[in-house]
Amino acid sequence: MTGDTNPDDDTRTDGVADMADNPYASRMVEYTPYAVAVGMKYASSSPGRGTILLPWRADLVGQDGTDILAPGVLTALIDHACGLAIMAGLGFEAAPATLDLRIDHMRPAAPRAAVTCSAHVYRATRTIAFLRAEVWDVSPEDPVAAAQAAFTLNRRDAK
Amino acid sequence: MSSTVDLGAILAGSPFCRFLNVRAEVDARGVLATLPIRDQLVGNVMLPALHGGAVASFLEIACLLQLAHETGTAAPARAIDISVEYLRPARREDTFARARIRRLGRRVAVIHAEAWQGDEDKPVCLLQSHLRLPSAMVRQE
Repeated sequence: MTGDTNPDDDTRTDGVADMADNPYASRMVEYTPYAVAVGMKYASSSPGRGTILLPWRADLVGQDGTDILAPGVLTALIDHACGLAIMAGLGFEAAPATLDLRIDHMRPAAPRAAVTCSAHVYRATRTIAFLRAEVWDVSPEDPVAAAQAAFTLNRRDAK
Repeated sequence: MSSTVDLGAILAGSPFCRFLNVRAEVDARGVLATLPIRDQLVGNVMLPALHGGAVASFLEIACLLQLAHETGTAAPARAIDISVEYLRPARREDTFARARIRRLGRRVAVIHAEAWQGDEDKPVCLLQSHLRLPSAMVRQE
């Protein structure tokens, strides 16, 4: 991440600065059947940012005997963290829908390790949000996966 | 396409495939994978629609199955990267997928997959993947 997207800089015109905090954002994790089924846990959110934890579970392993989470589990985690980042700033009425998602798997997660995904909106227009996300097991400095996504939005309030 | 690989055994050897309850059969066109509908797979209760992550991971599995089928190797390939496009919401019903190997290199395979529901000509989701081939498969020079 470069320093040119300071989240505290309200003068930027990337469509993120005018987002309001959604105090109910955690519901997006707690009330989504698939997020519940794979055991996602809401960690934190702020306008344009969302972080979700996924504890390790034996039935989410990709291959018997490896104890490593299947890459597909990370796909859902990333997609959901992106949705959380959007809804945390724009509310549930933004109704984000994934347009595309690209994931680089830099390395496998450690065996039996929980993973965390943090996503942030780096630009939002009235109809589209652009996001980046990282997944890590031990430290955000050493990600297991990185992702880039575009979502469609229904954002009536935007300029 | 001649395969001696037991796709059922590959699915049975993957806890996550068992979790999703993915099924596979082989016909003249290759592997046809099925993701049977379950309430747990829903990502949007309002529409309702399947979770995009569930559909994408189903397509990743379809790529692995087609690779195993065509190469005759059950050893798992590893995802390098994936790119997913969502064309329309996946409704609350059974989802099907086929994958096509676009290039089989010495170390890397490029595989594209499509998921659909009622009509194969109206895919709900497309996936492109780069897979690192299992070391057992890498041909020695």
